[in-house]
Amino acid sequence: MPLPAARDWRAASVHNPSMSAAPTIRVEGLWKVFGPHPQRLVGSPDADLSRSELRTRTGCTVAVKDVTFDVAAGEVFVVMGLSGSGKSTLVRCLTRLVDPTAGRVWLGGEDIVAVGSSRLRHLRRTKFSMVFQHFGLLPHRRVIDNIAYALEVNGAARDVRHARAHEVIALVGLQGYEQAFPEQLSGGMQQRVGLARALAVDPEVLFLDEPFSALDPLIRRDMQTEVRRLHRDLGKTMVFITHDLAEAMKLGDRVAIMRDGAIVQIGTPEEIIAHPVDDYVADFTRDIPASHVLSLGTIARPLATGEQAAEVALPAATIVRDATATILAADGPIRVVDGTTEKGVVGATDVLRLISGEHR
Amino acid sequence: MTSPADGRQRWLTLLGRRWVLIVLLVVVWWVLATLLRGIHTLSLSTATDTWFTALLRELTAVIRGNRTESPVFIYLFNPIRVGIEGFIDSIRAVISVPAPGNLIPLMGWLGTLAVIALIVYATSNLRTAALCTALLLGCLVLGMWTYTLDTLAMTLGAVALSLAIGLPLGVWAGLSDRVMAALRPGLDLAQILPTLVYLAPLALVFLIGVASATIATMVYSIPICIRITAHAIRSLRASPLEAATAMGSTRWQLLTKVQLPMARRTIILGINQTTLAALSFVVIAALIGAPGLGKPVVEALIIRDVGDGIVAGIAVVLLAIMLDRATTAAVVHTDEVLDMTEHQRRLRRIGLVVAGLATIAAIIASRYLMWAAVVPERLDIGEQVGRIAGTVVTWITTNLGFATTGLNEFITVTVLNPVEGILANAPWYLTVIMISVLAAIIGGRTAGLVAVCLLTAIVVIGLWNDTMITLAQVLLATVVVMVVGVVLGVLAGRSTRVERALKPLLDAGQTLPAFVYLVPVLALFGPTRFASIVCGVFYAAPVVVRVVADGVRGVPAEMVEAATSAGSTRTQIITKVQLPASRRSLMLGANQGLIFVLAVVVIGGFVGAGGLGYLVIVGQSKPELAGKGLAAGLAIVLLGIVLDRIAQSGGRSRPTGQDRWAPGH
Ligand SMILES: Nc1ncnc2c1ncn2[C@@H]1O[C@H](COP(=O)(O)OP(=O)(O)OP(=O)(O)O)[C@@H](O)[C@H]1O
Ligand SMILES: [Mg+2]
Repeated sequence: MPLPAARDWRAASVHNPSMSAAPTIRVEGLWKVFGPHPQRLVGSPDADLSRSELRTRTGCTVAVKDVTFDVAAGEVFVVMGLSGSGKSTLVRCLTRLVDPTAGRVWLGGEDIVAVGSSRLRHLRRTKFSMVFQHFGLLPHRRVIDNIAYALEVNGAARDVRHARAHEVIALVGLQGYEQAFPEQLSGGMQQRVGLARALAVDPEVLFLDEPFSALDPLIRRDMQTEVRRLHRDLGKTMVFITHDLAEAMKLGDRVAIMRDGAIVQIGTPEEIIAHPVDDYVADFTRDIPASHVLSLGTIARPLATGEQAAEVALPAATIVRDATATILAADGPIRVVDGTTEKGVVGATDVLRLISGEHR
Repeated sequence: MTSPADGRQRWLTLLGRRWVLIVLLVVVWWVLATLLRGIHTLSLSTATDTWFTALLRELTAVIRGNRTESPVFIYLFNPIRVGIEGFIDSIRAVISVPAPGNLIPLMGWLGTLAVIALIVYATSNLRTAALCTALLLGCLVLGMWTYTLDTLAMTLGAVALSLAIGLPLGVWAGLSDRVMAALRPGLDLAQILPTLVYLAPLALVFLIGVASATIATMVYSIPICIRITAHAIRSLRASPLEAATAMGSTRWQLLTKVQLPMARRTIILGINQTTLAALSFVVIAALIGAPGLGKPVVEALIIRDVGDGIVAGIAVVLLAIMLDRATTAAVVHTDEVLDMTEHQRRLRRIGLVVAGLATIAAIIASRYLMWAAVVPERLDIGEQVGRIAGTVVTWITTNLGFATTGLNEFITVTVLNPVEGILANAPWYLTVIMISVLAAIIGGRTAGLVAVCLLTAIVVIGLWNDTMITLAQVLLATVVVMVVGVVLGVLAGRSTRVERALKPLLDAGQTLPAFVYLVPVLALFGPTRFASIVCGVFYAAPVVVRVVADGVRGVPAEMVEAATSAGSTRTQIITKVQLPASRRSLMLGANQGLIFVLAVVVIGGFVGAGGLGYLVIVGQSKPELAGKGLAAGLAIVLLGIVLDRIAQSGGRSRPTGQDRWAPGH
C-alpha cells in the first residue's frame, strides 16, 4: 500500500541522524545566561535552581542551558517548548543575534561563535536566513525592496536583486503585491513576504522563530502547508521554532522539546508520542491524536494465543490512521511487516484503544 | 470607647500622612516667620555688591580686557563669532538687509515671498504653501516685513546650525547608551534652565549682537533636537532592526537603510519643535542684540508703549503659525507621497515646475520693479492696527481699570504679600530649614539634601532676598497653574469635545514665544509682580493641561468601567480612580509647571516684578551691575534645580523624549 501523499515530503527526508555523514548544524554545550557575571553560572550547580530562585539570588536568567544537538542537511528540526523556555534565545544564538555565553555552534563546518564580524555578515547575507514571529518587515520599503534587502546590503545591482526578488515572489505566491507596503497586507501575506525575504538569498539553512504564531488558525494551516511545499521543492535545512506541538508534529522530521532552557527530549514525532521521557512531555502530547503520529510498527503486538491473524499485511511504517480502514475491514488482526520480517499484529481493538486514549 | 493607646496610635498614623505633616509644618513656619519678621532677611539694595558679585564683576572686566589679547579669544571665541555672524548675515543679505548703498537685499519682498512659498510647496503641498503666503502677507501689511525677515533669517540660520549639531548627536545618543548617559545631565539641565540666564554670559564672551543671539538660540534648541531625535531612534520597533541585522547589514547600512527612514516622522517632528523653540528664543534674544521682531517688542516693553509691541507681537504669532504649519505639513507630506498614484505624481511635478518658473519671474521682478522690491506704503496698516490696539488698551484701563487693578491689588495684598512675607521677610535660616524639610518630605531625602546645599549656596553668594521674592511669585503662579491645569486637564481627558475645543488654545500656547504675552498683560496690569504671575500662568498652563489630560486619558478604560459598575459617582471616579491613577502625570505636570513658570516669572523682572529677573536685566545694561546680573542668573539656576528636584517626586527619573516639547499636532 502506498504511503499517503501528505507524508511524502517527510518520508523522503526522514533519516537517521547517526548515519548521516556531516550534519549541517551541530550545537555543542550551548549556554546563554542573561544577567551579571553570566560566565559564573555555566555548568555550576546553581544553574539547576528554579528560574525565580536563581533570579532573586544572582539576578541572572539561564535562557539556554547546556544544549547539544545535530541537524542533518535537508532536515526539518523543530524546537518546541512553552513560552519562556528559551526557544527564541536558542535560535538567536545559532544566528549570533545573541552572543552565547558558552558552547559552540557549527554551521557547515564553521564555528559561528568564533567568526569575526565581517565573516558573520557574509554568512548572514549568503548562508542562512531567518523568519520572525512579528515579521520584522521594514515599514518604509515596498514588498519588493523588503525582499531584496539582503541582496542590496550585499551589493547586488538593482536589476539583479529585483529579478531574484520576482522569482521568490512567484515562489510564495505574492505576484501583484510587489509595490505594496507591508502595512497594506494581511498578517498571512506579510509572513509570506518574510518567507520570500528569507529565501531570496538562497540560503543553506532557514531559521524560523514561531513564524505563524501571530496568525489566525486557518491562515496558519495554509502557511504550514506552504512551508511543507517549499521544503519539498527546495529541500532546505530548517530549524523551526514553535510552541504548538501539533505544528511540531506536522512539520518536524525531528522535534526537540525544551523546558527552562534545557532540551528534555529529542526524537521523531513518533518517538516522542510513543515514549515521552517524563510527565512534562507526556502532558504536552496528551492532546495530540496518537493515531495520527504513531505507526503500526510501534503498536504491533505478538499474536495472542487462540487468535487468528488475517491475511492482510501492512508495512510497519504505515501511520495508524491511514491503516484504520484496512484493519477494521479485516476479519482479525492484520500482520505488520518490515520488509520480510514480521513485527507482530494489530487488531481493531488495538486501534480503538489507541484512539480512545487508553493506550497511554 | 477608644483607649488612650488607640488615640495615640491614631495620632501617629495621622502624622504619618504626608499632607498632614506638610500642613503642620507650614503652620509652624508661618507662626515662626510672623514672630521673627524682619530679622536676618539679608535684603540688599540693587546697587550693593556682595563678595561674590564683586568677584564676578572683576571677572567680567578681565574677560572684556582679554577679548583682543587672550589666545582663547583670538583663536576660539572670536573666529566662532565671526563665522556665525558671517553665516547669519549672508542669509540676511539675501532677504532682509540691503548691502550698503543698495535699496533692497538680494531679493525684494515679492521674490522672497515666492521662494518661501515654493519651498513650502515642495516640502508639503499647495494648500500649506498658500496658508504660509497669507500669513507672511499678514506680517507684511502690519508693516513688519523687514523685522519679520530678520527674525526668519535668524531663526533659520540658528535652526540650520542647531540641526547640524543636534541631529548627529541625537542619532548617536539614540544608538549608544553611553553617549546618552554622557549627554543626559546636560539635557536635563537645559530643560530647567530659564532662557534668560544664558544671555549675559554669552554676550560677555561673544559680544552683544547676532553671534551671541544665535549661539544662545542654539543652546536653547539643540537639547530639544537631541532629545527628540534620540527618542525617535530609541523607540523604533525592535523586530525590523533584528531582521535587518540577521540579513547581514553593517551598522552603517542599518542606520541609513532602516533606522533613519523608520524614525523620519518623529525626527521631522523634532525639527518642528526645534524651529519653534528657536523662533521663540530669537524673539527674546533681542535683549542681547538679535535683530528682528523681538526688537520692537523689547522697545515697547521699555517705553511701555503697548500699541507697537502688540503689532510686533501679532507678527511673531503669524510667523510662529507659519513655521509650525510648514514643518508639520512636511511630516504629513512624507506619508502622502507614498499613497500617490502615478497621475498625481505627474501633476505634482508639473505644478512644481510651473511654481519654480513663477518664482524665478518673481525674483527678477523684485529686483527690477519698484513695487515688487520695496513694500508699497499703501499696504502698511501697521500704524492703524497699533493705534487701534492702543485705543482698546486705553479704553480697558480707563473703563475696566477697577477690575484689573482691583484683581491685581486683591491678589497682591491677600496672597502675594503674605507669601513673600514668609519667604523673604523672615530670617534666612528659618526659610532654608523649612524649605529643605518640605523638600525632603515631598521629594525624598536627596531632594532635601539638594535643597539645603543649593539654598545655602544662594545665601553665600548673597542674593538670598531677591531669590525669595522670585520664589514667592513662582509658587503662587504654580499653584494657580496647577489648579487651572488639573481642572481643564481632567475635563479634556474625560471628554473629547472639551479636548477638541481646547486644542487650538493649547497649540497656540505651546507655539507662542513667552515674550509676546508680556505686552498685553503689561497693558492690563501695569508693571507689577502680579503681571509677571499672570504671564507665568498663561505660559505654563497649556503644558500642564496637556500632561494632565494625557494622564487621565491614559487611565485604562476597564479601571473606570469597574469603578462605574461598582456604583461610583462621577466625582468619585475622578477623585478616587482617575486622579490617583494618573499621579505620575500630575507630578510631571507640577514639575513642568514649576519650570515653565520660573522661566517666565524671571522675564517678568523686565516689567517691574523685581527679584532675580530684574537683576539679570539691569546687569545686562549697566556694566557696574554686570557681576550682580551674572550672580542672579546663577541663583536662578540653583533655584530651578531645587524646584525641579522637589517636584520630581523622590528620584523618579524623567521620562526620556518629548516631555517638554510635546509635539503640538
Ligand atoms: N535580553 C534579555 N535579557 C534578559 N532576559 C532575557 C532576554 N531575552 C530573553 N530573556 C529571558 O530568557 C528566557 C527565555 O526567553 P525566550 O524569549 O528565549 O523564550 P521563548 O521560549 O522564545 O518564549 P516565547 O514563546 O514567549 O517567545 C525568558 O525567561 C526571558 O525572560
Ligand atoms: Mg520566542
